[in-house]
Amino acid sequence: MSTGISPGEHGDVLHRLYQQGKRRATQVPEFDAEKVMGRARAAHDAGAVNFWTVLNPAERSAFESAARKQAFAPGTALMREGEHADAVMVILDGWAKVCLDEDGRERVITERGPGDLIGESGTVPGNVRSATMIALDTVQALVMRTEDYTALIADFPGVPDLVKKQTYDRRTGRP
Amino acid sequence: MTQEPYGDPVSLLRSVLADLARAAYGLLGHHADAEDAVQNGCFKLITAWPRVAGLATPGEQRAYLIRIVLNEALQILRDPHRRWEHLGPDAAERAVTLYSVTQHSFEDEIQSKEDLRLVWKAIGDMPDMRRDAVLLRAAGYEYRDISTRLGIKVSTVRSHISDARKQLSRTLPRGWEGRR
Repeated sequence: MSTGISPGEHGDVLHRLYQQGKRRATQVPEFDAEKVMGRARAAHDAGAVNFWTVLNPAERSAFESAARKQAFAPGTALMREGEHADAVMVILDGWAKVCLDEDGRERVITERGPGDLIGESGTVPGNVRSATMIALDTVQALVMRTEDYTALIADFPGVPDLVKKQTYDRRTGRP
Repeated sequence: MTQEPYGDPVSLLRSVLADLARAAYGLLGHHADAEDAVQNGCFKLITAWPRVAGLATPGEQRAYLIRIVLNEALQILRDPHRRWEHLGPDAAERAVTLYSVTQHSFEDEIQSKEDLRLVWKAIGDMPDMRRDAVLLRAAGYEYRDISTRLGIKVSTVRSHISDARKQLSRTLPRGWEGRR
């Protein structure tokens, strides 16, 4: 296979990258400014989503009346990896770490705090917890049974979108 | 072209989008990756808009956006999970370009991929303006074009590239160049 570049002639890596870039300049894709900016804006807005604060008053009071308040002392588990997922929670106050067990060692993935909905991925029937959550300080949470949460979602069709937004926000690592 | 700074992110993006696409694609060689780089750059532009809106000239605003997108492209290039096949249809050619190999084995490919990562890391560690000049060069831009895009003198571009070339030759493993 021949490249037309003999070794030693313009042999440095930057020059080779430059030649490659120049070749690629003939096949540059065309992007649509509105589309690109629209997607960037959507990702940006999703980053601002905090589940609890974006619920409207009716949704929030429905959630409160179907849930009970529970306090978790620092170091206690809000949920454990592998357990049956029977509840969803909204953290009202305090912080928890999300961790995975990797061959006996704990790997912290991220943290969750006030306003975050947690455990919602367990709403699929028969699902188990995919991670462990440990309270870092005293965590006040609204705890709701999974079936009540499913019923609530049926009454408030706007809620699943908010959950999706929060999920997107987490996947993309937005603050 | 207007001398007034752009009043909103979309007008700025529209005026410089062809350049962003060319720079990102020149570096990445992959349509979807190039689009990601531009989109991630726009995400940062929206966040930084209050500050970018305050820049004195439209040229400075354009340079700002170009520099963000170049660095987003660099992030993608440095992603250790970026697979060889994601390097685009000319990936094999790239391996050849880098090594002028006459016959290359799987190990050669892996090795060149590792070496490439060293190159992108070294570029990432350079001082801001040198790094951005080098990235535009690597995307296939001429010195004069780099100078207008970044708003710096051609002679400055020349010295950045020359310094970078020396630095890169020290970064790469011995015997890199003529490896076959």
